[in-house]
Amino acid sequence: MLFNYTMGRELVHHSTKKRNYSPKKLLAFGVIANLALLGYFKYADFFIMNVNRTAGTDIPLLELALPLAISFYTFQQIAYLVDSYRKETQEYDFLNYAVFVTFFPQLIAGPIVHHKEMMPQFAKLKNKVMHYHNIALGLFIFSIGLFKKVVIADSFAVWATQGFDIEKNLNMIEAWFTSLSYTFQLYFDFSGYTDMAIGIALLFNIKLPINFNSPYKATSIQDFWRRWHITLSRFLKDYIYIPLGGNRKGEIHTYTNLFATFILGGIWHGAGWTFVLWGALHGLALVIHRAWQKLGLRMPTLLAWFITFNFINIAWVFFRATSFESAMKVLKGMFQGDLILPNLNLFSDLGITLGKWSRVYYDSYIGLWLLGGLLVVLVLPNSMRWKEKFKTNYFYLLFTVLGFLAIFMLHRKSEFIYFNF
Amino acid sequence: MISNKTYLKLLFSIFIIIGISVMSYSVNFAKNYPLPIIDHISFDAKMKFIRDHIDINEIDTIVVGSSLALNNVNGVILEENSKTCKHVLNISVWSISALQVEKILELTTIFPNLERIIYSGQFTSFNFANVFKKFDTDFLKKYMQNKLSPLEYAAFIANACKDLSFCKKREEEWKKEYMDNTKFSYLDFDHTGSAPLHIYGKDIIKSRWNRGDGPVQNPNALKALARIADNTQKRDIRFYFIQQPYRQAMIDKSPNIQKIMKSFPIDIAKIIGKYNGTFFNLHEKLHLDDTHFADRSHLNDKGSSIGSQEIAKFIDAKEAK
Repeated sequence: MLFNYTMGRELVHHSTKKRNYSPKKLLAFGVIANLALLGYFKYADFFIMNVNRTAGTDIPLLELALPLAISFYTFQQIAYLVDSYRKETQEYDFLNYAVFVTFFPQLIAGPIVHHKEMMPQFAKLKNKVMHYHNIALGLFIFSIGLFKKVVIADSFAVWATQGFDIEKNLNMIEAWFTSLSYTFQLYFDFSGYTDMAIGIALLFNIKLPINFNSPYKATSIQDFWRRWHITLSRFLKDYIYIPLGGNRKGEIHTYTNLFATFILGGIWHGAGWTFVLWGALHGLALVIHRAWQKLGLRMPTLLAWFITFNFINIAWVFFRATSFESAMKVLKGMFQGDLILPNLNLFSDLGITLGKWSRVYYDSYIGLWLLGGLLVVLVLPNSMRWKEKFKTNYFYLLFTVLGFLAIFMLHRKSEFIYFNF
Repeated sequence: MISNKTYLKLLFSIFIIIGISVMSYSVNFAKNYPLPIIDHISFDAKMKFIRDHIDINEIDTIVVGSSLALNNVNGVILEENSKTCKHVLNISVWSISALQVEKILELTTIFPNLERIIYSGQFTSFNFANVFKKFDTDFLKKYMQNKLSPLEYAAFIANACKDLSFCKKREEEWKKEYMDNTKFSYLDFDHTGSAPLHIYGKDIIKSRWNRGDGPVQNPNALKALARIADNTQKRDIRFYFIQQPYRQAMIDKSPNIQKIMKSFPIDIAKIIGKYNGTFFNLHEKLHLDDTHFADRSHLNDKGSSIGSQEIAKFIDAKEAK
């Protein structure tokens, strides 16, 4: 933090002082130092594993513990350095800078905040007094996030884990249950965390940026990235895609830049080839979408939604799987698995055996949960809409209390997925 | 619309009411049902049983093992028939490996007058080497002795009752599944902590009765047994391993089981013999017929009663020398 703060100040004041190095070199040094630290902790073992695999060497892995939230605060601080270089930062004091980097509600899993939207809030005197409306609103948003995480995401987690990590083979229905469970788990988990972060921040009168806007309603992949992890998309656009040239250097360059940005986005999520492939799939989809738009082609909205949702669902398989084998197991089940209907008691009483499902799926109401999950993400207003509608009345009071009751289901603990990134 | 201040006052009042209600439910639950300690109800129930019913200064004999000790050794019969085993505690827990037995025996240092440990099992007890995911020996010792501070106990209850639906489920299951001695899940212990099964006729589960066991022994489990015998000797406590009866029909039809039933007594006697442990082959001694079994290896209360009398005789004879 001290290093980045000093570098930032140096970049801002560079033109006023005589130095024997250019600001560009200083920026490059700062960015490389941050990336080197991230690379060392997050990607060293991935690199060593690949060297060992290709060169047949036996270099021991470092097995370093990943510092919590390193991907998030590295991004935030790189953005600060780049903006300082662009002279877009103001004179911040170190204390406010330290709060900006370590602000605990969003430190671990975002939203990835920008100094421009945070530092003025920390400096504002008005934000240092108790604001009852913000406390009420914060508790309301927090309760939505808590409910999403503890009740919804953790329920889907059981079925996703069963399919990805435990079952050796999956029939077609089980495989679709598995992938869809993860699709919903990830959304409710991550957006639940974000809601909680936004809620806690509001208790301190700090407004965090919106990070999700009903992403599964997207009717194109571009639309999806405008709705999913919005602050990451913003960072990728401002600090990777545009510096690479964006769409200013012709169509081919635009496609290459899009693809490269998403490959990097994939790697940012995790040190593994499955993440690279996930990023590549999204990059490719964005390229195809852009080409489709250029050709002026149209598609019915419902079909567009269906294709987008299914593409996202399939791509998440690579994101979740711990190996290609595990991903292929689920995908093989989804597209080549046997179509086995559950052996419902109704039929077995008649002596008809329809087939055997894993008990985890058979004994549960997974079908209803998935249907419910789909309805929630497609029909109900998202938490940001609820935030806009919020009023201190009995309806919201009851809503908040019900959301907080989720705290009594904490036994089924599972950590937030985005803690890993 | 209500004012922001009133809204918050109401909200926090509701939180306080909910908090108090949940606390009273949790305290009541903790009093009447086993709190989830390691997500193993048989273990949780045993810890609560010791805490509520056992005078740690009295215990001279501990019976340990899986269900082959919990159900097959009747502590009451053992006490009644033995001159040496006057105060028995059956600390056994379902389906645990030798490594888990080793962990449980770490807890027995709280019994100041302990003279002997009886490990009851069969070759099947060494087929696997499961471990407890979390096992805080110091905490459990304090819990068993009722020595947790009010704050520690409150934190324990709060942690255990985080998931009220889980507590509610356990409450329902407790009455339905664990109080019925015609089920293998029986956990209504007698005063020694044993749970003899009353499983006869229609209550016998065919698949359990007829299913054979694999003979492969896990080296880690056998190593754990050696460590148990060694540690017991170091603590100057007598160590016995009792090989429990096994249905003869199962042995007759499987060459693998015949083989292991021959080699197992030799191997175990050798392992524990190094540390002055004593091996007793109850299977060979009794040759019980099918009327004494609840399944292929678990005895019913008739079988466990006969077996426990024989164990009492054996230990008395051994210690009289």
